[in-house]
Amino acid sequence: MSALVAENLRVARGKSTLLRDFSLVFDATESVAIIGPNGAGKSTLLKALAGTEALTGGRVRLGRRNLADLPAAERAQAIGYLPQHFGPHWDLSVAELLEVGAGRARSLPADALEKATAAFELGGLERRRWSTLSGGERARVLLAMVLVVDPPVLLADEPAASLDIRHRLDLVRTLAERGGDRLSVVVVHDLDLAFSFFKRVVLLADGELIADEAAARLIADPRLDEVFGVRFERLRAGEGWHLRACR
Amino acid sequence: MRVWLGLAAILLLALVVAACAGHAWASPADLWRALAGDAALRSRLLVEWRLPRVVAAAFVGALLGLGGTIYQGVFRNPLAEPYLLGSAGGAALGATVALLVPLALPQSWLLPLLAFAGAWGATLLVIGISRVAGAVDAAGLLLAGVAVAAILGALRSFLMLALSDETVSLQVVLSWVLGGIQTPTWALIAGGCVGLSLGLARRLDVLGLGEAMAIAFGLEVRRFVMLAVLAGSVIVAAAVAYGGLVAFVGLAAPHVARWLVGPLHRPLLPASALVGAIVVVLADAIARSALPPAEIPLGLVTAVAGGPFFIVLLARRLRS
Repeated sequence: MSALVAENLRVARGKSTLLRDFSLVFDATESVAIIGPNGAGKSTLLKALAGTEALTGGRVRLGRRNLADLPAAERAQAIGYLPQHFGPHWDLSVAELLEVGAGRARSLPADALEKATAAFELGGLERRRWSTLSGGERARVLLAMVLVVDPPVLLADEPAASLDIRHRLDLVRTLAERGGDRLSVVVVHDLDLAFSFFKRVVLLADGELIADEAAARLIADPRLDEVFGVRFERLRAGEGWHLRACR
Repeated sequence: MRVWLGLAAILLLALVVAACAGHAWASPADLWRALAGDAALRSRLLVEWRLPRVVAAAFVGALLGLGGTIYQGVFRNPLAEPYLLGSAGGAALGATVALLVPLALPQSWLLPLLAFAGAWGATLLVIGISRVAGAVDAAGLLLAGVAVAAILGALRSFLMLALSDETVSLQVVLSWVLGGIQTPTWALIAGGCVGLSLGLARRLDVLGLGEAMAIAFGLEVRRFVMLAVLAGSVIVAAAVAYGGLVAFVGLAAPHVARWLVGPLHRPLLPASALVGAIVVVLADAIARSALPPAEIPLGLVTAVAGGPFFIVLLARRLRS
């Protein structure tokens, strides 16, 4: 069954059109990467899917219900959204951040906080304050905060962009693997990671949907080169892919 | 738990010290006798005049602590404070109008009502100015607040010059504006304000994660900010209507409380209230006893103590 459906999405701000009338259907269990050059509308699409961006036209359905009609609290429990940048204004501890994240659920199993702490390897960090955490630790805390209520849908906006390669790999793999039993839609900057870890890839450019295909098929598609304005050398690297760009 | 017991013990101690302090000092034994129902004039004065004022100081301090915490939480800015953001100045202007302008309603109604209108209006004005100017950061908000506070202060001085004559004593308004605790009948108000602010606690925490995250976590940010500013204005207005303009307690109390119980608002709000109560009770004791037989305005005492605190915070923030 489709978990999230975008129908004829259109988003315009002033004179500029950010998303130009396209539709997408997401299953309840799959992992999808969204790629595209700068300004393609990736973040706008993600916010529209999360129900936090006002639509100019079209609608988003969560299951059978119109997302715009859903009470904000219910939406927050059903859709986990990982922003591109996150910096709390107060220097909360890891345990406190998880508590705030858990607070948005109407009810949680008693061991939800414990489970999240274990799943994201935060044991021993509970009392540490945000300002003292490394980039990799921060990424795990953020993920734990968003996922502590175990939302059926996860939307993540390039959360790995500022991480070093090992932590980026860990994070993107975690996000992709969540597609095994949930829906996980991730804006990915690193094309190698997008094509290596995700089964399905959505390609955007200038607010338009260029392609929405299986990763294995899109990797060979010449539209990829066209959209990014380069010529890619496609190298098979172990289980994944390496794309080398030339002009 | 230890922190709470400690705070309660310090507050109790401060209350006892303040009840003893005055231009005629009483001993704790005098206080005990007076509370036990001694009929001597000295004991009756203690119970009927000094004790209510000490308790009122505690309530005003608690309200300032709550108000400061809410403002800092809403503006996500540790330098936000009712006094600096013009909200206390607005309340003072409203209260001055209530004291000086003969209007149809009884003054006991007008004072809190106009104080609230002033506090709310000033805060909305500051938010509006900083939004129009496109400055939502700490500096822009503070500058807008300082400007609005200056204008409101000038308006208040003008009103006092233009409207006071023999029938209304300028002295009364002046001493009230400089901060002087009035005798209270309103423990209920303080209780209501604590309840009101605790109702905001969880959403203040979510807002503190940043706007994008707060929206994703299901908070309707604009609506909540307006609601919290309204609640903050009610609390500030109550503090100003009964305690006059008391500077910097709303700034300092949340900081001290944050060191003690951390930044989550459910413990932070009551802790700030306790710290604010302790500070104002002690400051009021100094105000009453330092220069006998004169009484120093309470607002002067807290400004002398709180000003340097603000400068240190500002310097630390600018450096980081």
